[in-house]
Amino acid sequence: MPAPSTIAIVGASLTGASAAATLREEGFDGRVVLLGAEPQLPYDRPPLSKAYLRGATPFEKTLLRPAEFYREKEIELRLSTTVTRVDAEKKWLELAGGERLDFDSVLVATGGRNRRFPIPGLDLPGVYDLRTVADADRIREVIAPGRRAVVVGLGFIGAEVAGSLRECGVEVVAIEPFKTPLFRALGEEIGRVVEGLHRDHGVDMILGDAVAAFEGSGRVERVVTTSGRRVECDFAVFGLGIEPAAEVVAGSGVRVDNGIVVDELCRTNVPGVFAAGDVANHYHPVCARPMRVEHWQNGVKQGAAAARSMLGRGQPYDEVHWFWSDQYDANIQYAGFHAPWDQVVVRGSLAERKFLAFFLTAGRVESAVAINQGRDLRRAFSLIRARLPVDPARLADPQVDLRTLVPAEKTA
Amino acid sequence: MARFVTVAKANSVQPGQVLKVEIDNFPVAVANVGGTFHAFDDTCTHEDCSLADGDLEQHKIICPCHFAEFDVRNGAVLTPPATVPLKVYPVRVQGSDLQVEF
Ligand SMILES: Cc1cc2nc3c(=O)[nH]c(=O)nc-3n(C[C@H](O)[C@H](O)[C@H](O)COP(=O)(O)OP(=O)(O)OC[C@H]3O[C@@H](n4cnc5c(N)ncnc54)[C@H](O)[C@@H]3O)c2cc1C
Ligand code: FES
Repeated sequence: MPAPSTIAIVGASLTGASAAATLREEGFDGRVVLLGAEPQLPYDRPPLSKAYLRGATPFEKTLLRPAEFYREKEIELRLSTTVTRVDAEKKWLELAGGERLDFDSVLVATGGRNRRFPIPGLDLPGVYDLRTVADADRIREVIAPGRRAVVVGLGFIGAEVAGSLRECGVEVVAIEPFKTPLFRALGEEIGRVVEGLHRDHGVDMILGDAVAAFEGSGRVERVVTTSGRRVECDFAVFGLGIEPAAEVVAGSGVRVDNGIVVDELCRTNVPGVFAAGDVANHYHPVCARPMRVEHWQNGVKQGAAAARSMLGRGQPYDEVHWFWSDQYDANIQYAGFHAPWDQVVVRGSLAERKFLAFFLTAGRVESAVAINQGRDLRRAFSLIRARLPVDPARLADPQVDLRTLVPAEKTA
Repeated sequence: MARFVTVAKANSVQPGQVLKVEIDNFPVAVANVGGTFHAFDDTCTHEDCSLADGDLEQHKIICPCHFAEFDVRNGAVLTPPATVPLKVYPVRVQGSDLQVEF
């Protein structure tokens, strides 16, 4: 396959920027055009719910790379540019405003957007969500000690926002329909630990109840739950998950099913069209099923993998998925492949919030979560990759080096 | 002014190990890579975690918080999310003492 001469990347964030940089590292000397709807240089999202939201880090520190990088590497950055359509047959992009851009190959790295539910009052001023730096800036404007906030949804983003608000002295009531925070990802036992963390920091939690409406005249003044509770507030932030932003490929013949469907080489079903990052529902060779994840590490690594694949040098993308979430002084990390589990094995102390917990299915470790135990979590990567039955007693024993539980020929 | 400060006994950091020490209340890590010592800031340039709490794999130190990797020989960033290199310090062994120039 001859190397393409123009590679277009739609979405100038973590995944797209990683792909563009990798193309140059790999020696690609054709044209690289990186197009993104946001006006800022590609930046990092994790600080948006953490240090940036608290005003503890300036925006410049969240930039993925300095402006010179793109100039030096001759990466054409087209910011504030929305791509309206990928025409896979004619091999051009249609941009808002009517311009067309020809390409030989295209990488779709359009990420996700926050899910919105038809809850009455969701559009009231004072009700926020968080995906971009512009969103974070809007929330920062209303943060002040003593103000009252309602956080709706205690998934990772909601939990981080609740933590940051508390650290800024905001009074926080959090409403979560499941029994505990992070319930879907971590289950009840570990979810309770996270609940304790937030209670200890003064978050008032309403669990097992959902938001029925946001109310107020001209601006949100209270949140009403399905069980009839009314929580007065000055503002509210909801975090109800994201949906993949796949509409640019509509009508192009590219298969979309929970994101853009790609194989282990980041290829869609249409030649010349690739996808990676939050938008990509990728086939994962380690667990032999498709999955879509919304993790920083996947953005970096899959963006790079897609770039190599576009140059005809692809290797199956088979990273053990991994992400972190920082809440107060707790560094939470999760690795592996989320699947229904039948056993949880804890290594360390739940009470002290310093542990690693393994989720096992039929005796195999599918995934693991750590709080303030990152080194051990990383040591578990090869165990997760190996997909072999392990002795739970040895997993639980802090004296056992997790790297020794995998036969040498299976080591990652 | 920079001077060599004794931080530990040389035999207290075996090959493959990292030790956290403090010089003037400043956290510094010393790694032993196959018999050669390397000293560097213990504080990760990403978000301030202690690198001595991470694993040393040959010449790579891996931050336990978000798994940034640095080359302990020169402080270079090998893997993001860190983008800023780590400060490194000269090390020497005087008799049985491990000394860091600080
Ligand atoms: C607040 C927050 C905190 C997070 N914290 C963590 C964390 O602690 N740890 C972790 O592992 N992960 C975290 N994540 C997740 C991580 O940031 C994402 O996985 C990552 O941003 C995915 O990168 P991406 O480039 O695939 O998508 P995105 O970052 O969503 O970027 C997609 C880009 O494409 C642009 N775009 C979309 N459609 C078009 C179009 N038609 N034309 C032009 N441009 C378009 C968008 O404007 C956007 O800039 C966090 C995310 C958020 C929002
Ligand atoms: S603090 Fe070290 S990688 Fe983030």
